[in-house]
Amino acid sequence: MTKPNFEQNLEQQLQALPQEQQPQRDLWQGIEHALDHRAELSDGEQANANVLPSNITSKSSRPLQSKVWLASAASIVMVAMLAWFGGQQYSHYQMRIESEQFIATLSDNYLSQKDMLLVQFKGKPAFTDNWQDQLQELEDAAKAIHEALQHDPRNPTLLKMLKSIYQQQLQLIERVHVPRLAQI
Amino acid sequence: MNQGTVVELQQQVEQQQEQALIIAAQQGDRGAYRQLYERYLGQVFALALRLTGNNSFAEDATQEVFIQLWQSLHRFSGDSKFSTWLHRVTANVTVSYMRRQKNWLQRTFGLESANEADLVATNVSATNELDQYIQRLPERARLVFVLHAVEGYRHEEISQMTSMAVGSSKAQFHRAKKLLREWMSHD
Repeated sequence: MTKPNFEQNLEQQLQALPQEQQPQRDLWQGIEHALDHRAELSDGEQANANVLPSNITSKSSRPLQSKVWLASAASIVMVAMLAWFGGQQYSHYQMRIESEQFIATLSDNYLSQKDMLLVQFKGKPAFTDNWQDQLQELEDAAKAIHEALQHDPRNPTLLKMLKSIYQQQLQLIERVHVPRLAQI
Repeated sequence: MNQGTVVELQQQVEQQQEQALIIAAQQGDRGAYRQLYERYLGQVFALALRLTGNNSFAEDATQEVFIQLWQSLHRFSGDSKFSTWLHRVTANVTVSYMRRQKNWLQRTFGLESANEADLVATNVSATNELDQYIQRLPERARLVFVLHAVEGYRHEEISQMTSMAVGSSKAQFHRAKKLLREWMSHD
């Protein structure tokens, strides 16, 4: 394709790009959940920020003034701590969602690759009889790691183990169906 | 009343409705916010999908856009069109989401698998021909191409959004165009 033709073609295709595309799943539920979670955190901060009795703003005496000052300072520190803690909690919640998304993507990728290989080798002779048992053992191991990840979705060791198990399963399917010499 | 006037009137009514929804959402009306979400979900997701090249990441980034938007909606003053402002928010949030995702992958799996995000970038089903090519582009080239050619940002703006030098942004854009030209000639 000549350069002017390409530029013209590209421009036309850019103009024709769809402006909208819909996701495959409902995203609102997750958004609403996160907004509620955030609202709960701010309510908590608000409630703790209002712990001072109303009469403490009186200017009748110096000791009371110093109490007001101390109480205000304490409340500022408390609000700052709660904001920090709230932020930590929120970001932890976000990270957990991201991690779960990543695990889902990793698993989806593995499943589609596994399906592709099984279709590719369907009906072809395998070099060991018990490869399906071995595959099942690895499948069980992956299941156990999945369960552990539900409690600790950002555990790097578990994630590495899951990825490794998936790779071993794919390698197993390939190796038992492709002669060693053909692999070299 | 001719058809042109009817269309203009419809647009005016829609703009007024949108304005009312924005004001209500800024005052904390969750129902109004949901209506804005439904109105703009398709646009936000389309941009997130083009930038990430991956359905799951795009869904995740879209959720993050609408969570952060709820917090920052009060900053929208109405000086520009809401859709323009929302596109910028979407681009910024998605780029930052991608950076975070990549950092986390690097920390978790080490440098060897740092391009996991690229690895799964083919896991999408674009129907438009150019979208299919865009998704095949390497991550940085894809980001710059989408932001510059599709969304109309200048390289200086892209540099600020992505923390890449202006020169790198231009180089990535040329790289993207070179690849697209190659693919479009062969396919």
